[in-house]
Amino acid sequence: MKARLVTKLLIAFVATGILVAAAAEFLVERQLKRGLTRWIEDEMTAEANIISLIPMEEIAKYAVELAERSRSRLTLIDATGKVITDTDRRDVEMDSHLNRSEIQEARLKGNGASVRYSHSLKMDMLYVAFLLGDPKQPKGYIRLSRSLQAVTGSINQLRQSVMQDLLLVAFFALLIALLFSLRLISPIRKLVAFTEKARTGNISGQIRIESRDEIGALAENINGMVEVLHEKIRNADEERRKLQSVFSGMAEGIMVLDPRNRIETINRGMEEMIGSRSGDIFGRTIIEAFRNIPLHDALERFLTTRETVFQEISLGDETPIVLDVTLSAIPGEAGGEQKTILVFHDVTRLKKLERIRTDFVANVTHEIRTPLTAIIGFVETLEQGAADDRGKAREFLRTIRENAMRLNRLVDDLLILSGIELGEANLHPERVAPGEALKQVLPLVGARISEKKLRILKEIPEEIPAIRADKDRLAQILLNILDNAIKFTPFGGTISVSASPGAEGFLTIRIADTGVGIPKGEIPRLGERFYRADKTRSREPGGTGLGLSIVKHLMKAHGGWIGIDSTLGHGTTVSLHFPIFQEAP
Amino acid sequence: MEEKRHTSAEYERELQEIKDGLLYLGALTEKALENGSVALLERNSELAGRIVREDEQIDRLDVELEEKCIRLLALRQPAARDLRFITTAIKITGHLERIGDMAANIAEKVIILNDLPQIKPYVDLPRMVEISRGMIRKSMDAMVHEDIGLAMKVREEDTVIDQLNDQIFRELLTFMMEDPRKIQVCLYVMQISKSLERIADHAEGIADMVIYMVTGKSVRHKQAAMENR
Repeated sequence: MKARLVTKLLIAFVATGILVAAAAEFLVERQLKRGLTRWIEDEMTAEANIISLIPMEEIAKYAVELAERSRSRLTLIDATGKVITDTDRRDVEMDSHLNRSEIQEARLKGNGASVRYSHSLKMDMLYVAFLLGDPKQPKGYIRLSRSLQAVTGSINQLRQSVMQDLLLVAFFALLIALLFSLRLISPIRKLVAFTEKARTGNISGQIRIESRDEIGALAENINGMVEVLHEKIRNADEERRKLQSVFSGMAEGIMVLDPRNRIETINRGMEEMIGSRSGDIFGRTIIEAFRNIPLHDALERFLTTRETVFQEISLGDETPIVLDVTLSAIPGEAGGEQKTILVFHDVTRLKKLERIRTDFVANVTHEIRTPLTAIIGFVETLEQGAADDRGKAREFLRTIRENAMRLNRLVDDLLILSGIELGEANLHPERVAPGEALKQVLPLVGARISEKKLRILKEIPEEIPAIRADKDRLAQILLNILDNAIKFTPFGGTISVSASPGAEGFLTIRIADTGVGIPKGEIPRLGERFYRADKTRSREPGGTGLGLSIVKHLMKAHGGWIGIDSTLGHGTTVSLHFPIFQEAP
Repeated sequence: MEEKRHTSAEYERELQEIKDGLLYLGALTEKALENGSVALLERNSELAGRIVREDEQIDRLDVELEEKCIRLLALRQPAARDLRFITTAIKITGHLERIGDMAANIAEKVIILNDLPQIKPYVDLPRMVEISRGMIRKSMDAMVHEDIGLAMKVREEDTVIDQLNDQIFRELLTFMMEDPRKIQVCLYVMQISKSLERIADHAEGIADMVIYMVTGKSVRHKQAAMENR
């Protein structure tokens, strides 16, 4: 506060005081001067009256004495205005005095008076004139004059004492004014402090002012306002909390960009979608944070058209997720800078299911057509005369039979798979020692192992616990995995089978090969029906493309799971996690 | 005062535009490389054709970005760090453009290869693609975060790529000696491998520029100097 209210009030008080005092002084002075002058004038008129009784010649003779006794200057003037004698200027020849105002007045009324400034004496002078003789035939005039110095002097004295008193009074008045303004100010100060506190956000309580005037009313109003404000804030707060919980609770990812298109906020759903990267994206642009071309293009499209944009993007390298993104504007003040909101919807699962379904249909038809084409071709050849060649015919018929068998196997596998998927695996779990199970399976692939000159390393300690599994299904699982390992390991490679306790309550059987390996991105898709990591590989006879899919589902039915780890060019390790057999209590 | 703040915000925006442009270009080249790998593995000539066509976009963006940099240099006369960033950006965009060209070259070779019989499954080439893609990505990451450690890592990875390139060369040499009919295929594969090696070199160049941008020190020819000693 520059000019404080107290100062302002004091200035007003003092100014009023000075003005009043000055006015009073001026009026008193004027009145006093007038009164005193009149009094002296009366006195002098009386003296002149007395003197006028003396004959004119006598007056002239005793002029000096008369003047001394009446403490005045005496001038005797004849009827023509000629100065006969003047007590102050006896030797000076003086001009006619008939035109002086007091003489004029005396000629008409018998006596006259006037106040004039005397240039010779340099002071105010009072002149009183009196007519001598008969007014009709004046013999002359007597004039007394006296200085008004006495009057001025007493007025000055008065002024001085008034000034002294005034100073004293002014001091007390100032004191009173100060007290009064402070009293007036104190509730205002209280109001200021209270509203200041409210302005900085600390709105609480009420303000108490014991005053019934306007300030009291103001305080009441402020109290009312605070209460209303309080209510409003509480409502807004509640609304905000509600929105906040919706914002952070929803599964969709939400991202808000500031008007400069930098990331301002994301919700928890978004954090989960982008994982480890979420810490470092605030204040960055979309391209900086995600390096994603479709997302950046979608934003550009939105910024130019200002219309809601829908876009499907995929994020992440190792395990990509597919997201549906909706970009729209957050309505702000008209013409102001606008924020952008991006809503991400995770459609990875949907996309995957969709792809699996279409792939399945495409694959199953392909798988069925290949043997069918062979069958039809050979049958046609037989019809066109090959049937006559007994040797050829037998060979063709065997091929037809092989392909029909393959079709049959495919249908069997599909049935098994759909059975397991539906939960109709019909497992008969029992206590199985992993070493035993392997011993039963290995002879089945022995021929192919020796054919490719592969080395088999077995590392199954005697003392490891038995697992809980269905014997037949376990054989099927091991056979499938070994089959794959043999298929993908080049001539002269090594396949090692080991078993060790894995996670709590589980035993892990590992089958590792030194084959070509599988690209990291393909691993999650391996369990899909008919999926092939290496698309260029021509289908080996006998493979239905359902092996791993069946294994995956069988492991699930056993209460275990399958893990695949691979390095391109170095080989693949399949880990089968089986529950350890627990004796029934 | 207000005017000044306004122009400085404008300047800031222009710098960010250049940065975003570089990142966009980086993402495009990365995508081209990734698609090239897919086109090779899946024998998808249609996809390879698209890469060749899309290289035009990379070239156009390169020109645009360079013009932006030069305009900024002329109009704003940036100093110190900003000046280093812009000069660096001009160089990085050149590297990225070259990477784009290499990716297009690879795609052209893939189209030819797809019409020839495949002699063996591709193992090392996808690995080279994966590593060189990672190098591009890391060097761009290093630029965003001004992370010298990451830039150094990119430099180290270049040796892995060189080794893979040598390995492929030796392997293909044996194939060619065994069977002259395989020579054509092998030569194309070799060219792809060489292009990937060049791409890794450009990624390393970007990383060098990032180190220069952050520290103001040039590391480009240090290694060479040390090897000569």
